[in-house]
Amino acid sequence: MQRFLRDDPHARPLVILAACMLALALGDARNFLTLATAVSSLETFATIGLVALGLGLTMMIREFDLSVVGMYSMAGCIAVVMGGSNAWLGLACALAAGLAAGLAQGVIIVKLKLGSVGVTLGGLLVLAGIAYVVTENRALPYDNMEVALGLSTPIAGIFSIRSLVAIAIFMAAAAVIALTRHGRDIIAIGSDRRAAMTAGVNVDALVIGVFGFSGFCAALSGALLSYSLASASPSGLSDVIVPAAAAAILGGVSLAGGTGRPLGIATGVLTLAVLRAGFNAIGAPPYVNEIAMGGILLLVAALDGPYVARRLSALVRWRAD
Amino acid sequence: MSVSEAPARSSAPVRERRNIVPLVRAAVLIILAAIALTTPGFLSQPSMLSLLTTVSFIGCVAVGMTLITISGNIMSFSLGALVGATAMIFILVVNWAGFAVGLVAALVFAGLGNALQGFLVGWLRANPIIVSIAALALISGVAEAFAAHGTVYAAAGTSYAGFKGKLAGLPVEFVVFLGLTALAQLILTFTAFGRHLFLIGSSFRAAEAVGIRIWRTVTGAYLWAGLFTAPAGIMLAMRYDAASMNYGIGYEYDAIAAVLVGGTVIKGGEGSVLRTLAGALVIGIIQVVLVLQGLRTEWQYLIAGLIVLGVIALQTQGRRD
Repeated sequence: MQRFLRDDPHARPLVILAACMLALALGDARNFLTLATAVSSLETFATIGLVALGLGLTMMIREFDLSVVGMYSMAGCIAVVMGGSNAWLGLACALAAGLAAGLAQGVIIVKLKLGSVGVTLGGLLVLAGIAYVVTENRALPYDNMEVALGLSTPIAGIFSIRSLVAIAIFMAAAAVIALTRHGRDIIAIGSDRRAAMTAGVNVDALVIGVFGFSGFCAALSGALLSYSLASASPSGLSDVIVPAAAAAILGGVSLAGGTGRPLGIATGVLTLAVLRAGFNAIGAPPYVNEIAMGGILLLVAALDGPYVARRLSALVRWRAD
Repeated sequence: MSVSEAPARSSAPVRERRNIVPLVRAAVLIILAAIALTTPGFLSQPSMLSLLTTVSFIGCVAVGMTLITISGNIMSFSLGALVGATAMIFILVVNWAGFAVGLVAALVFAGLGNALQGFLVGWLRANPIIVSIAALALISGVAEAFAAHGTVYAAAGTSYAGFKGKLAGLPVEFVVFLGLTALAQLILTFTAFGRHLFLIGSSFRAAEAVGIRIWRTVTGAYLWAGLFTAPAGIMLAMRYDAASMNYGIGYEYDAIAAVLVGGTVIKGGEGSVLRTLAGALVIGIIQVVLVLQGLRTEWQYLIAGLIVLGVIALQTQGRRD
């Protein structure tokens, strides 16, 4: 079993998803196997999916974008402040801010040759600061209820505009990674940056581009969530990075870079979304979800450690002696 | 990594930036001193006492964070949550079994809880950022599960009047913080553990090659980080005769800001606890000046973020792994 999971990284997320659904269905079929669970899974998918996609892509090139949390929060606040009369204007401002901040971080990382964790830590604090300043440190209501309701109106039973947008961007990202040269170059950068550079890949431009994409995704996700909740606050959205990082690693992205595909990340997100919806459906208190997300992230982070195989074989040898 | 490939392109700007760092530091300190001394009320006794008290809580966390940063593991996102959880455990155990047992329990909890993260990071080489984010979710989730109402109160009759006084004109909290700073600096300078920590931080491979048991040193760094963080929670609990998870919110960001502003390098291997003391004082002075100048809290977040980003940008030494 373990060998199968290790040998085929793309099967792993699907197996985990199936196992989670089976466990929840066996546990409490009457409450879990409902349309409401599917709807709520897809809404959670829309909330954390795009953040996980952007973060996952930065992990695929062996970087890490910590700033997604700040980006998410800032974009929601900007969208609500600027979009009072025209939702499109607010959305455009939020997306422009997210894209610009992401690109700026990418440029700093590439041009000053700095580690991405440090730069995006600074970025996270600056973006969160902007969110506090924009909202004057309070929760802002969004009065345009038509937009809020429109975003949550069910489409074809279980979808909404938010989840369809997320699914469309996942499909586009999957197509770009699988079919274009840029996609192959991104994988190459993550596997061996020096070799990619020698082979003529424009590493700097792609790194900047990936950080721009990550900023854009987090901003889109944050803005749409704030619209659909009809409010924005500078804090309160901060628990998005735990499921996003867990989803990316569950979906087959390694912090060592070079592995993972957008559809794998989507499966990882769906797994966590189904878990959360399942916990809600069977009436578990909210902290169960938080503990589960933290536990899963700790587990996948430990299993992703570069020394896992070495330690395991040492343990096996020790047992055999 | 990229520096070795393109020495002609990158070494010149790197050297320039290194040379301007002392100049920037001197200029910033002079400007800060000038603004602080001309701010009405800055030198008043209440303002000074509140500055020293606030700095002490964040300072304890920053002392612990310094060890993690020097070891090459950047930062821990869970230290803020650890402060709140330690405060709660202290209050609960003191109510149940008395002060001494409470003190020991709080220290053991914080030390072991953090050492466990250090073990994952050191033994499996799991990603320190991810592990600490997961720990943050786990700690706050478990705390929520155990303290349904969020706040725990000291039993009636418990009072720490003596603790709220002053020693040699300084708040007791600040004296404790100074003592911990001295202890941490002694450990770093005069023990083999301290020297190993610097070596691991500056070159993991070299440390491995000379046969250092890296996982022990890294676990030790996290253990000490927990032990240095715990007093912040204990002192907050004693000051307010109560504890909740709100106590430590955001402390990890203030702490890493103090570490970096002090001049400890984010990539590890270089720094000191005395620098962190200076950094914590600078951050504290900036906050007091902003409050006295009438700026609202939200601007403090933004300015702190910009400072951290600026410091990180100045720390460039060509590391891209």
